[in-house]
Amino acid sequence: MNKMRNKILTLISAFALVIFASCEKDTPRYLPYEGYSFTELNENGGDWTPVLEDSGASIAVDEPDASDSQAYQDELAEVKEAMANMTPEQKKAVKYWTNNPAIRWNEIALELIAKYNLIPGPNDDGTYTLPNPANPEGPPAFPFAHPPYACRALAYMSVAQFDGLITAWHYKYEYNRAAPYQLDDAIEYAYEGNNIPSYPSDGAVIARASRKILTAMFPLEAEYLQEMEDENLESLLLSGGYVMSDIDAGLVIGDAVSATGLARAANDGMKNAQTPKAVSDSIKQAAYERFGWAWDNLEIPVRPVGLTPLFGKVTMWSIADVESVRPIPPPQLDSQEFLDDVQLLKDYARNMTDEHRRIANFWQDGLGTYTPPGHWNRIANEMIVKHKLNPLQTTRTLAYMNMAIMDSGISCWDAKYYYHYPRPIQMIENFETIAGTPNFPSYTSGHSVFSAAASEVLAYIFPDEAAKVRGWAEEAAISRVYGGIHWSFDAFVGTDQGREVAQYTIDRAKADGADN
Amino acid sequence: MTFQKLFRHRCPRHENKVAPTLCFLVLGLTYLVLPNSLLAQTPSDGLMMPSKNVCVLFSYDMGSFDRYWEGTKLRSNETIATVDQNMIMPMAAIGILDNLNFYVSLPYVSTESSEPNGGKFTGARGFQDIGFAVKYRPFREEVGNGRLSALVTAGFSTPISNYLSDYRPYSIGSGAPEFSLRGIGQYQWNNGFYIRAALAHLWRGYTEAERDYYYNNGSYYTAWMDVPNAVTYEGILGKWFFDNSLKLELSYFSLNSTSGDDIRAYNAAQPTNKVEFDRVGFSAQYFFKSIKGLGVVAYHNRIVDGRNAPKMSNTGFGITYQFNVIKKQTDEQDAQ
Repeated sequence: MNKMRNKILTLISAFALVIFASCEKDTPRYLPYEGYSFTELNENGGDWTPVLEDSGASIAVDEPDASDSQAYQDELAEVKEAMANMTPEQKKAVKYWTNNPAIRWNEIALELIAKYNLIPGPNDDGTYTLPNPANPEGPPAFPFAHPPYACRALAYMSVAQFDGLITAWHYKYEYNRAAPYQLDDAIEYAYEGNNIPSYPSDGAVIARASRKILTAMFPLEAEYLQEMEDENLESLLLSGGYVMSDIDAGLVIGDAVSATGLARAANDGMKNAQTPKAVSDSIKQAAYERFGWAWDNLEIPVRPVGLTPLFGKVTMWSIADVESVRPIPPPQLDSQEFLDDVQLLKDYARNMTDEHRRIANFWQDGLGTYTPPGHWNRIANEMIVKHKLNPLQTTRTLAYMNMAIMDSGISCWDAKYYYHYPRPIQMIENFETIAGTPNFPSYTSGHSVFSAAASEVLAYIFPDEAAKVRGWAEEAAISRVYGGIHWSFDAFVGTDQGREVAQYTIDRAKADGADN
Repeated sequence: MTFQKLFRHRCPRHENKVAPTLCFLVLGLTYLVLPNSLLAQTPSDGLMMPSKNVCVLFSYDMGSFDRYWEGTKLRSNETIATVDQNMIMPMAAIGILDNLNFYVSLPYVSTESSEPNGGKFTGARGFQDIGFAVKYRPFREEVGNGRLSALVTAGFSTPISNYLSDYRPYSIGSGAPEFSLRGIGQYQWNNGFYIRAALAHLWRGYTEAERDYYYNNGSYYTAWMDVPNAVTYEGILGKWFFDNSLKLELSYFSLNSTSGDDIRAYNAAQPTNKVEFDRVGFSAQYFFKSIKGLGVVAYHNRIVDGRNAPKMSNTGFGITYQFNVIKKQTDEQDAQ
């Protein structure tokens, strides 16, 4: 009897061990890439046309000490000393930041977007309090990083990075001071070598510009962002790629481009985008008088104002007049086209397939996530690494993509509040959805417009990926119809709209000197 | 938000009478923590069913909540209003040896919000997790004025349909495999009173979302979500009445995740949350004298404190039937 007892207990224990051992999964916290060899150097990158600066030479950067000067030799000695005494944490940081840290800063931005993408809930008395930049702690904390906020933060950061690297490239090839590991055989570079001059440090430009833009966008994260910048800068030196004066020169550029970017941001109209109720009501009334319909928020308690009614008035990057790209009107509510769409949505809801559910969820990018603009930045980051772009090409890709995304969002919001078209849950009785219906009008679909714009820029940068990214954008668009929160024409017209808007930024990219 | 559902059933317990073979066993506290269904099918009582006996259970459970703990803050949310969860639970227990029983269960769950609600989300329904468990009793001795028993249960459950666990609060389960190991000690006085205590550890695996990025105090670039492990404690006070035909129990149950994040402000719960709750309950079970092997059970539980958990109350009814599969005739003759 005792024997059997032992056998049974042994069996149970063995079972437990097997279960334990088989369950570990890899759950990455960031893109698993390391420093790599760039496919191109873009020696003439300093001649490219920046987005906000006049030229690559418009920010003054002093000539560095020559590499055979005593001052430089002292700096080299400092690098060697620091590298000889690296802690395991410092070694880990060097590996993490890589020789293309713009991607890491993009990921930091995505993480902060996900952290702050929380819609304020109602107070006990049924009112809503909005985040207030004058009192960022809240509650609710500032900001609410919804898709318009997110795309704007990403655009300003990416543009500052790109302008900063054009400037850095200008001086790198003007002054041509090589990297420490190339000047001193005793220094071993942490990454694959790339033969790009080190003065000024491109990594320092990225760290400083990104930290300053993100701190303005996420003021409660100032301390965290400063820690990230400090770690990034320290890793530049410890990589063997830069001496301190390379880094200091990069910081000068980072300070200048972020100041330019933030000056534009302060007056781009975003601060008026979230309107008072009276303005919101008059926008709604105007649409009702024009078209005979208006979107209603159906939450309990009702939200008095939709999300950023005047985001459509924010200054665009590449288009002078948002109305010039406003899409055609949506169908009348008594038209056959509309009635057919009601039937389509009912059919999709009634016959929810595994495939539709998967697509709706994969592209949902809703509250608490990095939003659709964030999703496309993640896709861009992966493609940048796959194609081994250098830092200048990386920021060019991210800058144009995020400019196009932000322009497309502005155009989308212009359509949303001009047409003020109702959502499916408002028009179809007892309609239920698998996705959350957002707090703004239906036409056109933000996901569709953002995704179409992003995919067009990626198709331009990575022609071999064009069919794939355009297909993804179409899937992201239709995902909202499968989710039950958009009409099919919201998605189809929105896709066309995003493609059209992106073309303005792509035309600008084609003329910036990089394609020559 | 996550929600739980509990469940407490027993087959009849007539251990001393071979013949009526009433199951005495089983289904103990099956409790289902909805987003963390795991315990769901873990038999955790102090009873054993004799060899060659089978007990089947069929029960219906109705749970609902209109408030939940967001982190440690109890709140309501008109986006979801009152969430109802109904469950149909078929289960079978098989006596392999007198001291070794096997269980299998397969709940069907449906969820939905009451009307009106501000979110207009559709509910979910489907078969949840198939559960298997073995219970072994290595020790049972007369001690003082009663009898002391020690039992150990090992359980395993895993999703049987492709329900989406990342759809809170409507998801019908945690979507992850679970292995549980439970130790149970019981003392029953000769007058029918008994006390029981159990301690369990639940090892939960990963659940796969349909998105490949989520936030859990930082970014995760994967569809896999780590469902936290948990420790449970429970205490039971019960008594048999009317010649072992009626059993009444009061219960306390506590579940504590060993890791996980908090639900963020006015945001949906997710499978990675650190769920904790304390629940109290009452159950009554009656075994018919007139129909051999037949029993009925009714219970009510409510969660009284929690973290990232719904303030769920649930009520259920079940019917149990125990029979001897192989030697029914013989056993009945023996009994006479």
